[in-house]
Amino acid sequence: MAPARTPGTGTQGPPTDGARPARVGAYPWAMAAAIVLAVCGAALSLNGVLRGWAWYWPAATTVGAVGFTLAGLRALRAAPLLVTAGGFLSLGAILTLTFFRGSSILGVIPSAATFSDVSQLIRRASETVLSETAPVAPNVGIVMVICAVLGLAVILVDALAVPLGMPAATGVGLLAILVVPAMIKPQSVGFWGFVATVAGYLMILACSQWFAPDFRSQGGAARNPGQLRRAVLTGAVALAATLVVPLAVPGFDQGTFPQGSRLNPWGTGTGLNPMITLGNSLRTPDGSGRITYATSATAPLYLRSVTVDHFDGESWGPDDRTASRLPLGGPIDPGYAVLADEQQQVTAIDTGTFSSPYLPAPYAPETVRGLNGRWTWDPATLSIKGSDATASRRQEYVVTSSVPNLTAALLEQSSAPVRDVPDDFTRIPGNVPEIVRTTAGRVAGAGATPYEKAMAIQRYLRSSEFTYSLQSPVQGGYDGNGLSVLSDFLEQKSGYCIHYASAMAVMARLEGIPSRIAVGYAPGRLTGATVTVAGQGELSEYEVDARDAHAWPELYFQGLGWVPFEPTPSRGVVPDYASETASPAAPGSVENNDDLVPDPAPAPTPAPSATPVPAPGVGGGSTDAGAQVLPWLLGTGGVLGVLLLAASPRLVRTGIRSRRLRPRNAADAVPLAWSEMLDLGRDYGLPAGSSESPRAYASRLRTSLLGEPDGMDEAAHRAVAAVTAAFERRRYGRPPEQDDGPAEPDAGSSGTGRVADSHGAATAPGQLGPLEDSLRANATLLQRCRARWLPPSVMGRLGRLATAPFRLAGQAWTRRAETSAEAAVRARPAGPGRTAHGGFHEQEGN
Amino acid sequence: MESYRRTANDVSAANRNLAGVSDPVSHLNGHRAAAMAADSFHDASQRILSTVNTVIDGKSDAAELALTVLLAQGHLLLEDVPGVGKTLLAKTLAKTIDCTVSRIQFTPDLLPSDVTGVSIYNQSSRLFEFRPGAVFANIVIGDEINRASAKTQSALLECMEEHQVTVDGTSYRLDEPFMVVATQNPIEMEGTYPLPEAQRDRFMARISMGYPDKDAEIEMLETHQAASPLAKVSAVVTAAEVAAMITTVQQVYVSQAVKEYTVSVGRATRESPLLRLGASPRSMLQLLRAAKATAALDARDFVLPDDVVQVAEAVLAHRIILDRKAAGAGETAHTVLQGILSRLPVPQAPAGAGNTAGAGTAAGTRSQAARNAASVAGSGRNR
Repeated sequence: MAPARTPGTGTQGPPTDGARPARVGAYPWAMAAAIVLAVCGAALSLNGVLRGWAWYWPAATTVGAVGFTLAGLRALRAAPLLVTAGGFLSLGAILTLTFFRGSSILGVIPSAATFSDVSQLIRRASETVLSETAPVAPNVGIVMVICAVLGLAVILVDALAVPLGMPAATGVGLLAILVVPAMIKPQSVGFWGFVATVAGYLMILACSQWFAPDFRSQGGAARNPGQLRRAVLTGAVALAATLVVPLAVPGFDQGTFPQGSRLNPWGTGTGLNPMITLGNSLRTPDGSGRITYATSATAPLYLRSVTVDHFDGESWGPDDRTASRLPLGGPIDPGYAVLADEQQQVTAIDTGTFSSPYLPAPYAPETVRGLNGRWTWDPATLSIKGSDATASRRQEYVVTSSVPNLTAALLEQSSAPVRDVPDDFTRIPGNVPEIVRTTAGRVAGAGATPYEKAMAIQRYLRSSEFTYSLQSPVQGGYDGNGLSVLSDFLEQKSGYCIHYASAMAVMARLEGIPSRIAVGYAPGRLTGATVTVAGQGELSEYEVDARDAHAWPELYFQGLGWVPFEPTPSRGVVPDYASETASPAAPGSVENNDDLVPDPAPAPTPAPSATPVPAPGVGGGSTDAGAQVLPWLLGTGGVLGVLLLAASPRLVRTGIRSRRLRPRNAADAVPLAWSEMLDLGRDYGLPAGSSESPRAYASRLRTSLLGEPDGMDEAAHRAVAAVTAAFERRRYGRPPEQDDGPAEPDAGSSGTGRVADSHGAATAPGQLGPLEDSLRANATLLQRCRARWLPPSVMGRLGRLATAPFRLAGQAWTRRAETSAEAAVRARPAGPGRTAHGGFHEQEGN
Repeated sequence: MESYRRTANDVSAANRNLAGVSDPVSHLNGHRAAAMAADSFHDASQRILSTVNTVIDGKSDAAELALTVLLAQGHLLLEDVPGVGKTLLAKTLAKTIDCTVSRIQFTPDLLPSDVTGVSIYNQSSRLFEFRPGAVFANIVIGDEINRASAKTQSALLECMEEHQVTVDGTSYRLDEPFMVVATQNPIEMEGTYPLPEAQRDRFMARISMGYPDKDAEIEMLETHQAASPLAKVSAVVTAAEVAAMITTVQQVYVSQAVKEYTVSVGRATRESPLLRLGASPRSMLQLLRAAKATAALDARDFVLPDDVVQVAEAVLAHRIILDRKAAGAGETAHTVLQGILSRLPVPQAPAGAGNTAGAGTAAGTRSQAARNAASVAGSGRNR
């Protein structure tokens, strides 16, 4: 783990001698407070994974209850295993009390009914994980799971910090909590969560330093001047690495930890799952999933991949209408007649690495040429879908699309009631929040025609009341989509395209205008290159990437078809027919907080086809929402689990060692140091024989594992000699209370005088450092690796544990056999019996 | 199960023996000299050894063992072929100490009274006067001890064991320190009276000198060419100093663990199928005393299992009797003891238990030690 102790805590430590006898004292409580602070702090960062703060109180009570139960047990001097068991019990009790009070006995003892409730809640939590995207609503299932996980984290951190004596390794437990928001939340851990976690972590380190100081860092800078220098050096190297490494790793070019540190080993989903990943795509610092296209259109071209028209439920997603899809072969028919003049556009698109089941195309496509693979189109929305999730990868195709020449006047005239539009696009969702309804009525109620109403809504959304922000929905906990998100958005008046588009689409429906949300790409940038398209000559090439991902509303006008609007300030290009000279929010005049708005350069006057272009693809309905969270969780858990498993022998070994080198009382220091030396020897392939005395083993260790006594390994030789001598004196020497005996032969050459002994007892553990260094230096690479990762001392222990039942059975068997054999001997009447010199009997047997 | 209980009882009985015997012995030795300071002990022992080593080339092990036996108040049996320096070692050791030395050449016609002394009628005083025999000295060198008749040999018994001589019903105390260094030749047995078991048991240790190595032999030719270097040897310690050193050795601490180890060595020899006769409890006592002296010579005030191992062969080899079958298979006392020692577990105390372990724990470990001894003996059966 990281450098164990901060130098500050080392120097502040009070004198430890006084603290040792009263070791219990305040230590468990201080440590529990530190652990609770750290875990609660880490839990802070889960806001954003879970919506709101309602879940925090039960989580905090769980953490507190478990943490202080552990401390209480420890204050009562319970055995370490008992303390941990008590932690689990208290976790069960507090969870029962919080979530299953009704079905339990006395509120804390789970009954049979509780367990069925548990499975129900777990099912609910897994549904949440599978079907929703962050931030999820804090339903009781997911909150229970979070509480349980945090409680387990407390037990883990506590176990690492106290019984195993590895306070620095508690960072692993805390990191495990932080990984979840770091993976799921777009703004990563967040400032306060990070600060609180670090504060708690430092407190854990400080507590362990103050109350149970380590031999190695004892005495602070005065005795060990190298310590401060080492700490500063380590810190400086770490700091430098955090500054330098991001330059080499793509994706760290903006922000500090909100965006820059976001862990994303799988790369951004270039597939751009609509709605759900749109916000994340927009926030990606690097533009991935680059698409280039060249078009004959004069207006900025929106590439559309999919539409969303169901506004029910917690989370919206596209409807594939698999049943009514038609294979892509002949011309694509929008299914309605357009009364205005239409203009043909030809667009050549190269999708590059963009992978999605949906094909980006300008609206309304008529023919698509040059595609590989099987493709289908949906007559209702004209979205084009391939057969698998990455169908759009490396496609080069030419789309012919038709765009009506729309004008404000034309739209104004289209006041006839809509016909021929499927119900899907007009159905008003249930439980529309009141604020949406009133806002729609207030803003658009006065409009006489659908066009006026639409313009009123767009004007309202583009007004200076609203600001464009990718971050505030995340911070406010309403990132994502859905009706509840919408009401939050209308209150906060800050969000990005998904919010604007859905607000306009829902309000339009409330006002009786058929609507849907198109997801795709806003017009891109000129690349400067040109592409020759058959029949069109040379066309300028544009490019879009994940940062251009966009959503916009499409409204249906009778006789004109689906007409796109642009309610999102500062993004996209407002079409001519939808722009007003008086509009307070003309593009560019609004706060432009993103430089990705298309430059005016490619600005042929807007007029995207009456219905915009299909845009990004969608995974498969609701599953891709889960597919986003679940793999993260599973992957993270799996990787952590495997890492933990692989490192467990080493962790156990480190734990044993640190416990041995920091004995509870000084009297145990020598035997523990000796055990540690035995284990070191065993790790490096030299186990002690049972018939070997300490001295014999030490000399074997010195001759076979260490080099010349007066060479590089001098310190190690001295350490072995000192530890062995101290151990011999302790094991075989006169007990301390009989110290008044006559003068004994002096230590002489072996250096084990009485005075040297007491000194040796204190320093013996510290001398094992050079020994290990020398062992490592003299070992082969293979031995080193084995000693480090699969230490035989630990593996042997595990093996003994595993075979213990068999061994016991074997012993019992032998014992029984011996007893019966002896009985047989005794029963023999004339036998000479077993004399003290059993040999006689043996001889006779021969 | 029953067998273990019995074994455990046996062991504790043996332990009681050890504890019970050690005290009378120290009282038997009469006056008690004050213990010696650690530094002077070390100096004195180094002086003795270096002096001996100037005379006997390349046999520092034997010299050290001889000194160990002296300090442990034992008697030494030097057994080897003629001409390897047995007598020279004995004489040198005697000469380094400023004390009385007598030498008895054992011959078939040697009489017990020649050893112990005799009461003679003094005509002038008209009384019987006791004329002390050769045994009245601090160091008695008995050359070719197996050449004397059995009754003469056994006259030495009382002296060796009880440090006193009884003639005509009167007991006479011998001087302290008292040590018998006997030599015998194991090859030429014709016309000899081999020492019986009982008498061999009274010698604390038997040393086989062995031939010197090549360099030592050349060196010996050089140094012994003109005159024996023995002539140049003068005493380097006084008898009082030796007595003080002996007291120091007696005060060396023996921990419970080492006692258990010693006992389990003895039990292992008794239970080994390769041996017809194992080591006696008295030999255990002598083994422990020799180990104490070894520890003291190694500048320690407590005994290690290593000390026991170091002297085990010298102390035990002449007391055990090989099974005939094992002897026929080429086993020797040396190989059998080595086999036992290499398999016998050194008692491992759980970390932290240390010396302060309660009586219950001690009993537990004792039975554990007994079981260990049993298992070692058992594995010997499989050889």
